[in-house]
Amino acid sequence: MKVKAKLKGDVIKVKVLAKHANVGPEEGEKKKVEANFITSVVAKCNDKVVYELSGSGFISKNPLFKFQFKGAKKGDKVEVTWTDLKGKTETKAKAIK
Amino acid sequence: MNRRKFLGLGLAAAALVPAALNATDFRTEKPDMWKAEKMEDAIKAIYGDAKVTEDKVSIKAPKLAENGGAIPVFVKSDIEGAKTVALFQDANPRSAVAVWTVPENGIIDYGIKIKMRKTGKLTAIVEDKDGNLFSKVLPVEVSIGGCGG
Repeated sequence: MKVKAKLKGDVIKVKVLAKHANVGPEEGEKKKVEANFITSVVAKCNDKVVYELSGSGFISKNPLFKFQFKGAKKGDKVEVTWTDLKGKTETKAKAIK
Repeated sequence: MNRRKFLGLGLAAAALVPAALNATDFRTEKPDMWKAEKMEDAIKAIYGDAKVTEDKVSIKAPKLAENGGAIPVFVKSDIEGAKTVALFQDANPRSAVAVWTVPENGIIDYGIKIKMRKTGKLTAIVEDKDGNLFSKVLPVEVSIGGCGG
């Protein structure tokens, strides 16, 4: 997973690139692989939730999530965690530039 | 501070913390919305029978998407204090794509890449703090379908 967070004015712009096949049930049947996709993405900054998503199998492969939030400064860490259907999670923290 | 008061405080704090930190998982809370095949049913499963007004929300997506496997979609809105944002489409076997829980003072400007099997319509719905629903519908033409189709 790649995380980029950049301060612009008083807004922090964040890009998250998750590495995940994100296979929906129908797609899995066709490709003969098990369906598994990212079900939730949560980003926190200074112990506050700044982004929260519940997803489905219709989010693209290696999905890109973009969002913005206010109320943090340079050097603060944005911590992103995704969870998939099988319960696997990945977390990455990145300082705001 | 007496003991009873102290314990009461502890309980209140314990009750507050998970609400502030934990994610609202719509997959466990609203399981029906992810199974709904039609857009109307999916919207009903998450928001009930509330009236939807087409206003105050914008979607940015390519008019003609060459690759249906990764269509960049942006949902924007200036509604203050909104609670949730949901994205649906009518091209895939099921309608719901994603639901965002808007944090306090959150900015609604969400970018996401989605899959669409064929040409269809995108619908984004924003729920404001009083439970009013605002939406935007945008048609997207898909030349090569994603989602294994």
